[in-house]
Amino acid sequence: MTMIDEETLRRSLADAADEFEVSGEAVANILATAASDEPAPHKNVVPAFVRQPGRPRTFLGVAAVILIVSAIAVPLLRSEPQSPNLSASNTSHELSERAPSGAQNLTVSPGSPAPTQDSTSEKDVTGSGFSGSSALKIESQGTVNLTVARGHIESAFTKLSSLATSLHGMVESSQANSTSTSTSFATGTIVLEVPQPSFAQFVAEVERVGHATSVTTSSTNVTSQSVDLQARITALNASLAQYLKIMTKATTISGILAVQDQINTIQSEIEQDQSQLKVLTNQTTYASLSVDVSEPSHHVSSKRSGFDKAWHDSLHGFVAGFEWLVRLAGPALFALLMLGALYEIVKYGRRALRRRRI
Amino acid sequence: VQGSSDVTDLAAWLEEGYPQSVRTAYLILGNRSDAEDAVQEAFLRAWKFRNALVKESSFKPWLYRVVVNSCNSKLREEIPHRDRRSDATDLEDATSDDTVSRIALSHDVRQALSDLPAHLRVVIVLRYYADLSERDIAIAIARKPGTVKSRLNEARRRLAQHPALNDQPHERGSHEEETG
Repeated sequence: MTMIDEETLRRSLADAADEFEVSGEAVANILATAASDEPAPHKNVVPAFVRQPGRPRTFLGVAAVILIVSAIAVPLLRSEPQSPNLSASNTSHELSERAPSGAQNLTVSPGSPAPTQDSTSEKDVTGSGFSGSSALKIESQGTVNLTVARGHIESAFTKLSSLATSLHGMVESSQANSTSTSTSFATGTIVLEVPQPSFAQFVAEVERVGHATSVTTSSTNVTSQSVDLQARITALNASLAQYLKIMTKATTISGILAVQDQINTIQSEIEQDQSQLKVLTNQTTYASLSVDVSEPSHHVSSKRSGFDKAWHDSLHGFVAGFEWLVRLAGPALFALLMLGALYEIVKYGRRALRRRRI
Repeated sequence: VQGSSDVTDLAAWLEEGYPQSVRTAYLILGNRSDAEDAVQEAFLRAWKFRNALVKESSFKPWLYRVVVNSCNSKLREEIPHRDRRSDATDLEDATSDDTVSRIALSHDVRQALSDLPAHLRVVIVLRYYADLSERDIAIAIARKPGTVKSRLNEARRRLAQHPALNDQPHERGSHEEETG
């Protein structure tokens, strides 16, 4: 037989098809089946087809956009530095060899937490870990170096603890060291926490306990971080809701597992963010002050020179570089994972769409 | 058709479209019972979702789309190595030379058709048996007209090279079972 032309093909196919004798029984079967379950015509449950071809695609598109935004925004926000530019005020001032009486005149301004700032940093943690309020959140901390008379380290610690307690604060940690030549303590460090509104007053009173050689206080406005966290939690909750909707439509085990995977990831993100928010709220509720207490003869010099300094600088640089790499690796890995998951979901979605056609 | 709710409408619908649909399915699937099953399922689904039909004019390609998808489902669940040629008419049934020749050709065409991948077989059957235009085939298989044209060319090329339809038989490629 020579190469077949279109007309022959048409005729041959018709001949081949005519071999099939149409049975009236089959038609009757169809009519009977249709009559037995004759529901009202489906109006909104039409599979992706002629009338509503774009619906599932739009739905998948929206889910994909949410995923991409989450994949990009979450790691970026997470790796954002601790808002150094948003700091309301950062001040440190060194007092050199001031008499205890001089410390009384020390003005802790403008960088120290002012009462006006403190009054806004009230605790706003709700049951869910965030309140969504736009109140300023100020995180304050400071360091005071005190010199006290010989043998008065312990009494200084006691005074400092009493001061913190009287302002409804607490002692977070304390440490005292003695020298090999003396049985009493020669140096010590005590870390105290007081409510934000009392921080300025507390610093002033701490300086009176001994001879303040240096006072460093700083406060950071972490409102934006808090708001960012709240927004992220809201966005993640929205994503979670979307995935839960997708989950109700998943019909295959692989689909359900893929969506469940995403849901687990998002839930874990939400929990992490809520924990961060709680920590942030705690930090803005209490201000922390570290007080280094020492006797006059135990002057600690931190100055390094020569090879020692070069070695320490080099080590510090190495550690900083390594930290930077580790910090970068996390978000990059997360973004890669999200892209992989997105690819799988889109692949699954396209396959599902094809199957759902009538 | 759209919006019909009485089963008597379905009867009219079946009278109009069933014979050609079931024969089309038969050519695609190569098996009588599969073809009947596929078309029965297709008609019931099409009837159930008849509101999805927007334009009266697109009824034919729409119906074929349902039928083709139903056939594709059948092909997906097909038992490997099922003999699609088992239902072919025997040449012994022929009564004259002319009939013998036609049946032989028809047999060869069916054989060549069954060796085509499913996605090519579908376009050939829709074009040359169901007599759909390329645009309607595009609707029926949910692909672009360009894809249809390309598949038709490929299918024609393969048929032309098929040993059963060609004087110079040659090695046939691997038998794809793509259901695209």
